[in-house]
Amino acid sequence: MTLQFQPPKPTHVPADRIVDFDFFHVPAGITDPAEIWHDLVRRGAPRIFYTPRNGGHWVFLDYADIVEGYRNHEIFSTYQAPVPPIEPFPVMQPQGMDPPDHNVFRRLLAPMFTPLAVRGMVEELERRARTLIGGFAAKGECDFIHDFAARYPTGTFLYLFGLSEDRLDEFLLLANTFFRSTDPAARAQNVIDIYAVLEGLFREKEKNPGNDIASAIVAAQGDQGRQHPWQDILNCGFLLFVAGLDTVTNTMAYIWRYLAITPAARQHFRDRLDDPDAFLRAIEELMRINAVSNLFRRVTHDCQFRGVQLRRNDRVILPNSVANRDPAVFANPDVIDLDRKVNTHVTFGVGPHRCVGSHLAKREVMVSLAEWLRRIPEFELMPDEGETRAFGGSVMGFESLKLRWDV
Amino acid sequence: MRVHVNLNLCQGHARCEDICPEVFATDAVEGKCVIVQAAVPDDLIEKTRLAVRNCPEGALRLASDKWARDQDTAQ
Repeated sequence: MTLQFQPPKPTHVPADRIVDFDFFHVPAGITDPAEIWHDLVRRGAPRIFYTPRNGGHWVFLDYADIVEGYRNHEIFSTYQAPVPPIEPFPVMQPQGMDPPDHNVFRRLLAPMFTPLAVRGMVEELERRARTLIGGFAAKGECDFIHDFAARYPTGTFLYLFGLSEDRLDEFLLLANTFFRSTDPAARAQNVIDIYAVLEGLFREKEKNPGNDIASAIVAAQGDQGRQHPWQDILNCGFLLFVAGLDTVTNTMAYIWRYLAITPAARQHFRDRLDDPDAFLRAIEELMRINAVSNLFRRVTHDCQFRGVQLRRNDRVILPNSVANRDPAVFANPDVIDLDRKVNTHVTFGVGPHRCVGSHLAKREVMVSLAEWLRRIPEFELMPDEGETRAFGGSVMGFESLKLRWDV
Repeated sequence: MRVHVNLNLCQGHARCEDICPEVFATDAVEGKCVIVQAAVPDDLIEKTRLAVRNCPEGALRLASDKWARDQDTAQ
């Protein structure tokens, strides 16, 4: 890490709560980036610990504490919370605001992503999945991430925002820099670039509104029947951009990677293509096991939490993948049970900031898998490719995933 | 048995609707839980109980008729 992010010496942190842990760093030979988190648990790290890396931050490892981190916004704020710190960092609407200010844009977005609204998108989602899969099915191979998992949610974003498909590569590059780069200058420029794109997009939708989410956000009326503040509109677009692309891409990458090496799981899903309840139950289990997001919070004031002294502006990371394997909550937490009946995973977070797009994200995965298995029922990792590089960070995943199948 | 939702806790995960749509739905504005039938028929009690146990917010309760009715009134 660069010197710029070196933290002040944390005098309030006792030595026995300090662990040297860099959540961006996936050592060579580790093929699953979530393993760096599970390894902390296996090594017996304190359930609440502090690492000086990446600007310095706390990590919670218990399901109960992670859930409290999500729910208790009076201590754990989403406002200006990124790790490592980016200054200045845009206030994402509504994710970067605490209740009650958060409610303004939450209320604006919520109806666009309810289960009812998402059911209205299913045909389009299916058509898009079929088109992408049809583009490479006959070849007998693909790079799943490049050819499908990155393109699918980004294409869906373009569709929902009423944008032309030919901007796909531009949006893929912006998202990739946002999530992967640890270079402060590149990160700062990336945020500027994203805002420039959003500015142009919303101005265009203001002039020529369509039946899309961007137009709805621009046209929405807040206080006294006026348009929301322009900066808030941009910040809302920013949130939808960073929250809905990379997360879905990498969740899919995890799931397809697992299916490629697990014939029984492929069989399980194929046998349930006409049983939506059982199909969804199995998806929920893969969502539990493959939670790609590690969320950030900022401590609002000096206080004690579970007997640990926290200081104002301390950062906290809430690793969903760890919460989802807490034996206090899940029976046989490390076992992948595609028929698990009780599964209160926190892959989409909990509390006031529960992922507003969760129903869309889940539907994207379900639709993609069903369409994939109908066209490509059997597939495997490309032999002799070696494991491709995995990355950590706030969204974990893989740089590529080469698959092959018989044609 | 009656089912009760605490709408202060519900965050619209819709896991209840996914598991037991006969008893639970979600509204079109906030996406929060709507109880379709609060008095749960005997043949849906197991399914309802499963939905209740899967709520990540712990917002649902399946209880005696009197308890749930008191909760509804309090809310």
